[in-house]
Amino acid sequence: MDFLSQTYVALRGPTGAPQTPDETVTRLADRLSPSTLLADRRAAVLALKGLARAHKQIVADRALPGLLDIIQTDADVDPDIGRAAIECVSSVCDTLDLQYAQRDLGYVHTDRVLENDRTVHKLLALLADQDRGLRHSACLLLTSIVHVRPQKAQAYFLKAPVGPGPLVGLLEEPGDVICHAALNLLSALIRQSPEIQKVLAFDGVFEKLFAIVTRDGGLDSPNTSVEEALKCVDTLLRFNTSNQSYFRETPLPALLASLLYFDPNIQPDMPVPQEFALQFWNSSKAQAAALVLEAIGILLGSKGTGLREGYAFTRLLIEMAMASNAPTRLKVQCLRLLPASAAVLLPDMVLSPYMPVPETNGEEWDRLEEATGIDALLELIMHGEYNGLDATRRQKEGMDLRGNAVGVFENFLLDDRVKEAIVTGMLPPSPSERSPVTPLLFGLILPPNSPLDRVNVTSLQFASVLFAHLIRHNPTTKALARQIVPPALTPMSAPSSATSGPGGGAFFVPADGAPPPQPEVAEAKDAEEEEEDPQTLLQLITEHLALAFLSRSRAGLVDREQRECDRVICMYLALLSQWLWEDPQAVRVFLEAGGLGVLVEQLNQPSELDVVVPGLCAFLLGICYEFNREPGEITRATMYPLLTRLGADVLAGRTARVRDDERIKVVGPDFWVLPCPTPTALNPAFIPMYENETEVWFDWAFVEFWKSNNNTIQRSIVADPESASSSAAQSGEESVLVASLRTVIAKQSAEIEALQTKLKELSTASSAATKQSAELASLQSKVQELSAGAEAAAAKLDEEREALEAERAKRAEVEKEQEDLLVLLDELSSKRARDKVLMREKGLDVSEDEGDDDEDDEAE
Amino acid sequence: MAGISWHYVLKFIITGDAAVGKSSLLVRLTDQRFLANPDPTLGVEFGSKLITIPEENKVVKLQCWDTAGTESFRSITRSYYRGAAGCLLVYDVTSRQSFQNARSWLADVRTHADPHLTCILVGNKVDLCADDAARRQVPTEEAELWAKEEGLLFVEASAKSGVNVDAAFESACRDILEKIRKGVFDDDRSPGVKLSKPTNGNVAVDGSNGSSSTCCGT
Repeated sequence: MDFLSQTYVALRGPTGAPQTPDETVTRLADRLSPSTLLADRRAAVLALKGLARAHKQIVADRALPGLLDIIQTDADVDPDIGRAAIECVSSVCDTLDLQYAQRDLGYVHTDRVLENDRTVHKLLALLADQDRGLRHSACLLLTSIVHVRPQKAQAYFLKAPVGPGPLVGLLEEPGDVICHAALNLLSALIRQSPEIQKVLAFDGVFEKLFAIVTRDGGLDSPNTSVEEALKCVDTLLRFNTSNQSYFRETPLPALLASLLYFDPNIQPDMPVPQEFALQFWNSSKAQAAALVLEAIGILLGSKGTGLREGYAFTRLLIEMAMASNAPTRLKVQCLRLLPASAAVLLPDMVLSPYMPVPETNGEEWDRLEEATGIDALLELIMHGEYNGLDATRRQKEGMDLRGNAVGVFENFLLDDRVKEAIVTGMLPPSPSERSPVTPLLFGLILPPNSPLDRVNVTSLQFASVLFAHLIRHNPTTKALARQIVPPALTPMSAPSSATSGPGGGAFFVPADGAPPPQPEVAEAKDAEEEEEDPQTLLQLITEHLALAFLSRSRAGLVDREQRECDRVICMYLALLSQWLWEDPQAVRVFLEAGGLGVLVEQLNQPSELDVVVPGLCAFLLGICYEFNREPGEITRATMYPLLTRLGADVLAGRTARVRDDERIKVVGPDFWVLPCPTPTALNPAFIPMYENETEVWFDWAFVEFWKSNNNTIQRSIVADPESASSSAAQSGEESVLVASLRTVIAKQSAEIEALQTKLKELSTASSAATKQSAELASLQSKVQELSAGAEAAAAKLDEEREALEAERAKRAEVEKEQEDLLVLLDELSSKRARDKVLMREKGLDVSEDEGDDDEDDEAE
Repeated sequence: MAGISWHYVLKFIITGDAAVGKSSLLVRLTDQRFLANPDPTLGVEFGSKLITIPEENKVVKLQCWDTAGTESFRSITRSYYRGAAGCLLVYDVTSRQSFQNARSWLADVRTHADPHLTCILVGNKVDLCADDAARRQVPTEEAELWAKEEGLLFVEASAKSGVNVDAAFESACRDILEKIRKGVFDDDRSPGVKLSKPTNGNVAVDGSNGSSSTCCGT
């Protein structure tokens, strides 16, 4: 009563004259001063609280500092005034006001509260106050402040003298209301603040959060705080490696498994508890379980080794995905979270899948025969959840489940030897026989008979995606795959097994292996085999492609049937592109099986609307042209005129246009189940058969393949038939790499060539040189000989000369002697003449003739 | 397979100037390797290790939070002191400055932490002084004396060679166990000391209950 009368007086004013709100608030604000009695202050605060909503601005302008002071000083002493003051501040800081114009004021006032850290620090301290109401209102105000100005509030929180203790303590409180409020505050505080996340982990927030989950009865609890607590756990773990390494050391990971009724200490030889496999599910439990699964996924993916629960978690994910009654959405999540390394466990794992008993509304379940993990996975991919129970509807979750299962299968294939083993398993046991029926092969060889069965088309698509994974960029498996001779499908077996009825269903169970022998089947088989040689898989697919084009061209197809045809055609084209790439022998088989004619016919009269089918036809034709490197009937030279007639540039252009189609454009690594119809613009009148139907066109692996090789094919389709193969790359990056390596090789080979010619020159030069030097040597020896000869000659010469000299001397001597003798003779003759004269004078008889003779002699 | 069992969980923090080797000490403790070129720690990293103290016949699970030494993270680091049972106050023996700053870090610890917190002063990087004594800027005696004055444990260690790293943590654990034995910690008084209790999961912890009652009673 005291409070009411005081308030009344305050509002009425001393004179009873009508007052403006401004005056009233000012008066009330004055009373907040510490000099006023506590009771009066309390009354003023309560009055202000009453006015705050209607007069937000005035109350904040006049009274906010006073209110904050009261929170600071009085709240400890008097919880009532504290609570009232906090609530009043909450009102003026409200940014979710119903009146939109008032919301901005909330931001302004919150900023004023955050001008310094004292209010936030005080509020954090009040979270540990004795009074429950005060704790609650402090928590609410803090939550609203953190929501409005998260960064500033988070910074203050980190510096708070009381630390995070009071907040963590609040989580322990019994009672939904306050626990809920605390969880709200927590989730706002930890958002995008790794520091706060770590501080809280240090202060044991994980333990408190899981205490909330278990206290409220685990995932089955209808209480929303379970989900909120798990959401906080998710935020604390997701991007915080420090918290992850802390968390994995605690007993809490085991608790995660237990929450799903799974044994965290399970061993490989132990069966899975049935209370795990078959649980009661509702939407709130599914939400909470999704969060638990996310946490498990984070821990499995976190750094560091030796997670104690690693095996249990992996097993849990596999079991839940393939052998439980969990909602499909959760199964998709399980497969998505399964680490790549887990796929190797599949062949050794034995699962017991379940099937809902018809007409029991999911309350009764049949336990199926045990199957290995990998068989169950293939079964799931090929036929969908629960053996294709709902496959015809193509609902998003079911298709996603199959898509994610393909991802797991891809991880299983990481080792090339596994691929080889699987393809080898599809080979005929002996050359004269046919391949055994495996679920994958069966899905692949279903003929595209019209009208197309929706379930079969989807199986065909997934089978083709799986098979493409086996052979893509793998010469060994491609070579093996060429030898697959699919078993004959009788007219009986194909359609019956396509339905999910019990008779046909048995055909699909992988564990069953071959179909049950039926007399008619055998007969039909025999009859067929007599007629013709069994076709290989590649020939069969080529034929089916032609058949699919044929059914597409039939008049009177409704939109939906056309779409199914297109789907099948695209699938065949995609598979063949990947198979024929870099496999000249497969190209040979395809061309000789009539593939060239099919493609050319399609490209001759392409659809004006659709770009994908003509584009892929051109792409495949380009691949055939590029890799047609084996000798045979159809060579590059014979194909070239065809390409020229179709217009090589036109073909290249068609190939390029595929890029713009939604069906290729939007596909991503984890996104290839598209809403039906995609693209919507192509045929606006198209109406899917079921609501929320989805569809699959291409998987990411093909899109990636196409994107990296499309350019190569566009180039090589216009190339001369004589030109060498220019494309041997596997992806864009690799093709760049290969191209660069090729230039390097070309450069190097040019260099080598140059060097070789140089070497040749040099070697010829050097051989000439050696020849010359030999000649030289011989010459030299000759010269030597000669010089020796010369010497000898010279010596001879000397001798001769000497001899000559001697001769000459002799001769001279002889001449001289002769001269002397002549002189002597002359003298003698003159003497004789004188003597004769003398003798005549003396009268001696002197013969004249002597004289005459003498004269004659002289005359002679 | 009873899971890993331990008698106590002790929360430790490592604090001190930037680049004195806090993260390297933690990595040396948990992984037995040397972190050659660590990036500056952002926020706080976590590591844990089981340590057996033979004299007490106790297994201790050491949960260690490595804090950032950079000034901008200092206020955040303070939030950890309160909850810790032990603290490694690290300086670099080749940096006088880091030793002097240890005083202000200790002041922080004293202001914010539980009064019974065990603090050990660790002079890191002694390997650098082994070859070249001139690099040492903080004499062992001086640090030892200061530690004694302040009531801190003291050890010189090297995260690079591994010398005294385990010893530093072990001696701190011993000291805490000693305090527990003397009844300094009531079960709930220090958030940094926890008796291991079986939690709501299926993990059983051996012998924890029996030993806890006796060790706290004495």
